Amino acid sequence: MNQIAYADPNVLVSTDWVAQHGSDPGVRVIESNEDVLLYDTGHIAGAVHIDWHTDLNDPLVRDYVSPEAFAQLCSRNGITPGTTCVFYGDKANWWACYALWVFRLFGHTNVKIMNGGRDKWIAEGRELTRQKPAFAATHYPVPPNRLDAEIRAFADDALAQSKAGKPLIDVRSPGEYKGTVTHMPEYPQEGVLRGGHIPGAKSVPWKTAVNEDGTFKTPADLDQIYSQNCGLRKGEDIIAYCRIGERSSHTWFVLTYLLGYPNVRNYDGSWTEWGNRVRMPIERSA
Amino acid sequence: MNKACPEPPESSPSSQYPARLAAIVALFEGLPEDEKRETLISYADQAARCAPGKDETFDLEDVRKDEECTDTVGIFLKVNPARQVHLRVSLGPQVQILTKAMTSILCSGLEGSTLEAVMEVPADFVPRIVGGQLVRVRSQTVYYVLTRIKSACRAFLNRERAAEAA
Repeated sequence: MNQIAYADPNVLVSTDWVAQHGSDPGVRVIESNEDVLLYDTGHIAGAVHIDWHTDLNDPLVRDYVSPEAFAQLCSRNGITPGTTCVFYGDKANWWACYALWVFRLFGHTNVKIMNGGRDKWIAEGRELTRQKPAFAATHYPVPPNRLDAEIRAFADDALAQSKAGKPLIDVRSPGEYKGTVTHMPEYPQEGVLRGGHIPGAKSVPWKTAVNEDGTFKTPADLDQIYSQNCGLRKGEDIIAYCRIGERSSHTWFVLTYLLGYPNVRNYDGSWTEWGNRVRMPIERSA
Repeated sequence: MNKACPEPPESSPSSQYPARLAAIVALFEGLPEDEKRETLISYADQAARCAPGKDETFDLEDVRKDEECTDTVGIFLKVNPARQVHLRVSLGPQVQILTKAMTSILCSGLEGSTLEAVMEVPADFVPRIVGGQLVRVRSQTVYYVLTRIKSACRAFLNRERAAEAA
């Protein structure tokens, strides 16, 4: 029998691994959450907090921080270009994957996800601390550019993808995809003017990639979902989207690192841009 | 002549809040950002104490899971003859930390206020406590508990009016 493995098994680490190696030199554990104060209530010892909103997003324009601001963020968290950054967080690692994706945008390659995230760490009865670590500032060279063209898609890219009939993966809930709701379940304040999906997009909710405990499904299961059921082929240009780019970061991580698809981009403008933008084509399905 | 319109105030004067809530608002407004976070965490830590006691009885109980919040929230209301409110709030384990903090703040800040005063509390105290940095997309449930408390007060008043009319 053929045993399928994750394309890059090193990118996924267990809670055990973090417990044993989280404090190793050259390793920085990073917590990123949706719940804005969750880190302050307790976190893995030695973990720093990266806030998706204030640390990774530009405060004014809807975009990511500048390369200079990214370098400063890394410097004040004791991160060098060679540091192994291990991300974890709430919501089955939505924001951990988002932060990892932003780190990749700036060319930081040595990245990992703690499988199962914060909930698994707590469910295993592992300790949390409220003590915030302090690390000596490092020199993190300003990245020469952001990899916007490589791993990020904009609305025009998604439109071109749709018109060309290339793969678009909608990772939102089925109701959002169908257009029967204009917001994510439990987030009614994030409504948009139009419901539906980008024409040609296939619905593969992010949650199909994880087990009940938030860990990623086996390589064989993931291959079944994305390659066999959804028909994605390696080498194809693939764009994933959701509402603001965090759930699609999760799927981007799965496709890129766990299944080894080389050309996957995350459309972070996602439905909050598409569903509000004038004259964008929209498809609805039963 | 071009007359400039007077700008509306950005937030209500503190005198519009019940006295206990106004004191909490004043405390937060004087704190630097770091201490504000720590104080919010302290309030969140106390949220479990806001849950109804085992033998407590109430005039109105409203326990439900709404789309606006990540878990079940229960509002328990007791009104004394002077129409002063005693509030208890139960929270499911998945509610956000800010929601827990706001629960503690409201239980303490609205204790002893009249039903009418609770109904009139303007929601603009929330950013004055939490600070603009924490009120953002994905943390809007911070307003939810106040909405639920007002809704419980309204339900109590409606029931009272219906009983009087009967």
